[in-house]
Amino acid sequence: MTQPLNTVGMFALADSGALDGTPKPPVASGPVGRPRRWVGRIVPTLVLIAAAVFFLAPLLTLARYALQNVPTIRLGWSTLFDNWSLSGVTKAFDDPQFWPTLTLSLKLAVFAVALTLLLLLPTAIWVHLRLPRLRSIIEFLTLLPYVIPAIALVAGIVAIKPHARWFLNSDYALVPFYAVLALPFTYRLIDAGLRAIDLRTLVDASRSLGAGWGGTIMKVLLPNLRTSVISASFLTAAVVLGEYTIASVILKNTFPTFQRVFVGREPQAGYGLFLLTLVITILLFVVLFFITRPRTSPRKPFVAPTESSAS
Amino acid sequence: MTTLGFQAVRKTFGPTVALERFDLDVKEGELISLLGPSGCGKTTALRIAAGFEFADSGQVVVGGNDITSTPAHKRNMGMVFQSYSLFPNLTVAQNVEFGLKTRKVDKAESHRRVADMLDLVQLSATANRYPHQLSGGQQQRVALARALAVRPQVLLLDEPLSALDAKVRLTLRDEIRRIQTDLGITTLFVTHDQEEALGISDRVGVMSNGRLEQLDTPTTVYRHPANTFVARFVGSMNEIPARSVDGGAVRVGSSVVTTEHGLGPDTDVKLLVRPEDLRLVAEGDGLAGSVVNRTFQGASTLVWVRLDVVDTLVSVDVAGVGAATIAPGERTSVAIDGSRAMCEPVG
Repeated sequence: MTQPLNTVGMFALADSGALDGTPKPPVASGPVGRPRRWVGRIVPTLVLIAAAVFFLAPLLTLARYALQNVPTIRLGWSTLFDNWSLSGVTKAFDDPQFWPTLTLSLKLAVFAVALTLLLLLPTAIWVHLRLPRLRSIIEFLTLLPYVIPAIALVAGIVAIKPHARWFLNSDYALVPFYAVLALPFTYRLIDAGLRAIDLRTLVDASRSLGAGWGGTIMKVLLPNLRTSVISASFLTAAVVLGEYTIASVILKNTFPTFQRVFVGREPQAGYGLFLLTLVITILLFVVLFFITRPRTSPRKPFVAPTESSAS
Repeated sequence: MTTLGFQAVRKTFGPTVALERFDLDVKEGELISLLGPSGCGKTTALRIAAGFEFADSGQVVVGGNDITSTPAHKRNMGMVFQSYSLFPNLTVAQNVEFGLKTRKVDKAESHRRVADMLDLVQLSATANRYPHQLSGGQQQRVALARALAVRPQVLLLDEPLSALDAKVRLTLRDEIRRIQTDLGITTLFVTHDQEEALGISDRVGVMSNGRLEQLDTPTTVYRHPANTFVARFVGSMNEIPARSVDGGAVRVGSSVVTTEHGLGPDTDVKLLVRPEDLRLVAEGDGLAGSVVNRTFQGASTLVWVRLDVVDTLVSVDVAGVGAATIAPGERTSVAIDGSRAMCEPVG
């Protein structure tokens, strides 16, 4: 088995001049080199196409099921362009539970984002500046909600429910749980953002220029952590708009619980709603991409005052 | 009158003593450089002056006011940092304006000062650029403009040139000195680059292990170091084994060198002498040796000679093109000017 390999190796050595001792000049890339470059271009393209098919095929299937008024059994190539309609999705809008649950979930998302940022941002900054040795411990702790299934958290909530009814009765009781569930994503994003900037120097520079801690966080750190903060906010919102288990156990009518009920009642319209949620999420990430691009020209350019304007 | 003073300042980090009874007075309009090896406490002193660290004991005084426990944002200090410290989200003009906004300076006055400062560092044309669109040297000039825009009582410079390439470093060094002199601002400059410190300072403070070993003019620090640490740290120094004799002289082999050591006779010493205090002389007129190597340095050449009698390698600074014909292996002699030499007892 090893013979052919050795032979190939021998030819390679002989060709490079290593055996006869005479170095050979490098060979100009000719017909032999071309197919390799062609392969180099085609392979990544094929991988991209395969990945796109892998992600888009289920979405397309979902879209056909939700938006084509064609019996499921007849969904095939021949009916690809038949009876597309948004009526399935709009049916959800007419449901009396749709707007209240969506509004509640959006409010919960806003509060969860606010709570996450209020707790996480100063903590992460403080740990980076003053307690860098605690970073690995905090990383581990923030990973726990990802490792421990939501149902375990629910078991804990059930256990404390009799003692904390005053709190759990409110719809907004979900906010801290959502903040905890989003921690594995949000902490990592904020942490990565803080690692990407020269935090200590920026803080010192800001303070030496007269800004207090509040001013430093608001005017210097937040704008430079914009990508991390916006991404963390979107991910927290995505967690809120997708979390079903906790809301269901503590009997809250959030958008995901409504979706679950609605899809049971109106399967086609329910899946249309899932599709719409997905599309909106993707659009949000596209918006995120555009609003977090670094600026190359200022909104209000500085114009040096002339002699007359100065006087 | 704006002066900066450290009075018996002590600072520790856990078991490490960063500053020990540190005393320093920077006079009005003076530029003092703190020079020393890594970990000697020079940056800690600067950070205590800025308010980023607080002294365990002792006082920091600016213009007669004790600011020891004043937080950083309430001290009127301007600071330029070692790493690029411009706020990436703000343009050059907005960076310079930052300190004026926090001080709520009137908008027209603020605009005027930004324009003046950018003019001072010759970067008016870059006012609307972002930091990532500037070179390292330009960024540090903007940082200087930003620090000066708030009209600080004291300017603190924390190795602002160390991230720059050699040529830009030299230009910016001169520019900092020009601006500092023009504005007459009291300045504390921290560096580990002795050429920088000697080149732009009114006085240089050499630090070691949290203490100020010597504080004097660059010439005095170089020519008359207070102790062997300063002598070794500032500039280069040859160390030649010798033995003290009466009357302040030492004997190197059979040659007697007159110094001012103040040691008793018959003590083994190291004679510390700078390359420019050694001369190549005709064979037989000094300590015989062989040329080992030579290093061309532009204005002068360092010739490395191994002295026969003490088997020690010394470097001799030969000005101009005098060393061009000297080749490794050549026999030569070295004469020592002991007037500025120092002696350190061995053991």
